[in-house]
Amino acid sequence: MNLTICLLMARRFLPRESIREAVEGYHGLSDAAFERTFERDKEELRAMGVPIETGSDSVLFPDEVGYRIRRADFELPPLEFSAGETVALGLASTVWDQARVADDMVRAVAKLRAAGVEPDADRAAHLAPSLAAHEAAFELLWQATNSRTRVRFTYKGVERVVEPWFLANRRGAWYLLAFDTTRSDRRLYKVARVEGEATVVGEAQAYAVPEIDLEAAFAALEPRSADLWAVVAIADGRAPELRRRAEPIPGDAPAGRSLFRLAYSEDRDPVGELAAHGADVLIVGPESLRAAVIDHLRGVVGLEAS
Amino acid sequence: MTSADQVARLLALVPYLQQHPDADVRVTAALFNTTPRQLVADLKVLWYCGLPGGLPGDLIEIDMDAVELHGRIRLSNAGFLARPVRFTLDEAMSLAVALRALLELGDSGLKTAVQSALVKLEAVIGTEARVGVRLAGGEDETRDALAAALARGVAVRLDYHGPSRGVATRPLVDPERIVVRDGYAYLDAWSHERGAWRSFRLDRIVAVTPTDRPVSDHGAPPSPAGGWLDHRQDAVEVTLELAPEARWVTEYHPIRSAVIKPDGAVSVTLLVADPAWLRRLLLRLGPAVLRVEPPAAAASAAEVAREALDLYES
Repeated sequence: MNLTICLLMARRFLPRESIREAVEGYHGLSDAAFERTFERDKEELRAMGVPIETGSDSVLFPDEVGYRIRRADFELPPLEFSAGETVALGLASTVWDQARVADDMVRAVAKLRAAGVEPDADRAAHLAPSLAAHEAAFELLWQATNSRTRVRFTYKGVERVVEPWFLANRRGAWYLLAFDTTRSDRRLYKVARVEGEATVVGEAQAYAVPEIDLEAAFAALEPRSADLWAVVAIADGRAPELRRRAEPIPGDAPAGRSLFRLAYSEDRDPVGELAAHGADVLIVGPESLRAAVIDHLRGVVGLEAS
Repeated sequence: MTSADQVARLLALVPYLQQHPDADVRVTAALFNTTPRQLVADLKVLWYCGLPGGLPGDLIEIDMDAVELHGRIRLSNAGFLARPVRFTLDEAMSLAVALRALLELGDSGLKTAVQSALVKLEAVIGTEARVGVRLAGGEDETRDALAAALARGVAVRLDYHGPSRGVATRPLVDPERIVVRDGYAYLDAWSHERGAWRSFRLDRIVAVTPTDRPVSDHGAPPSPAGGWLDHRQDAVEVTLELAPEARWVTEYHPIRSAVIKPDGAVSVTLLVADPAWLRRLLLRLGPAVLRVEPPAAAASAAEVAREALDLYES
């Protein structure tokens, strides 16, 4: 703490010996203990965002290294938020349901308050947003993605070293877009499927993230567009979510049913989805889909005897 | 000795206390997510902090009598630490991502405020967010209508396409709050028909019709924390043995436990509160379910399958 104040007040780079004299906490330490303690303090301060510069003021002796903190780099710049924005910030402060990131959040909000901003969650009491991350590898990937640090993990049985580019949450699950250096290829990983423990490799700020079209990169996570057509007979008043997607067509339907044309996609488990409606939805065609649903239903009948 | 956590807190505390003269110990401790006891310990450390030299006039001054007798904090002579430290990357991202998560949750008024707050924040952070969030929060109109009803305190009629019954319903409900569980936004509301709390997924609400009927007090809805099935007292435990291709179930449903067998099959234990939900899950999975324990839990799904097969074969 005193080290921060000391360096912040310095008008020039302070050499180690001056720091040792000025900071009360370093008095009475042996040379080795001082070096150790000073190095540790410096690293800890840097980790919490305090920008400690290393350099020299001397033209004649540029090797005489000293330290300083420039106020402009240290201080949070002025921030002004409207009343509506402070409500948004207050709500945001309650969002994280992940211990490590929630701690980051508490510190960020403390800094906002120290800068005179008052996040206010009370005025939106009927909104309870929450963003969770149950995935074991999340914490490490969160830090690595923010700090651009390479990561090693095993995925689908293969160990790889990747450069994390972007983390995304889709429908509650986390995905990592990263460059796989082992295969020289850009890939999308489901964080829940990272096997064993992930570890960081090397330093932070180790690579550049290229300009990427995120929409396109994450398109694989969105439901695939349906390109096949089925004809189904839906019982009146049933299966509203299918009706919404379907289009009524003329034709002879069994009593109490109407015919619909329905787009579906092979990779979204159409058999399971349609079978889940039981007798409410009967497949008229194509024949392959109809046969698959009948087989599927026979499997369900067999469960009772399992 | 001061730990890194403590120093981080102190660096924010000093400017905060200068912004808020005569701050209350308990309120301040809560804002900094620590205990009043720890906060007083922090202040005692601060007492020894100040400009190099360590002379009385160089040190931060705190009226410790006021702290100990009245629980008020008066700090002075700290003009050299008037502003907090810049955000670390992780701090900035936690804030930016949380704001983004609100974009698909709030009504249009909140959305505008979130967007402008993000712009200001990103100007200070100076870097682009590398974390994105997309929540299933339904249509803007749905959220606007619900926000208006919540603000007015009136009941609404929902057009709702529920997950398990296969029919549309039009429940009359007293809306209470909007919560997020596992990436989906839900309306927690008191159902007049059922006389109980119910959750409605926002992306399954087709229309919201406000009424002029004021809401009444029904106490607090069940906790919004994860694993809401745990709160049901009438829930039964069911174990499913699933083929490898159906392992996704463990990622999409609240499960009690999952054991992966050497052959890749997985044995999953679920708490089932709604028999219709289990029936639909079994109908959807079909032959990918290898065994159900107790077998009777499959009876209702089997009956529905038989009924459908009869129609196909007639």
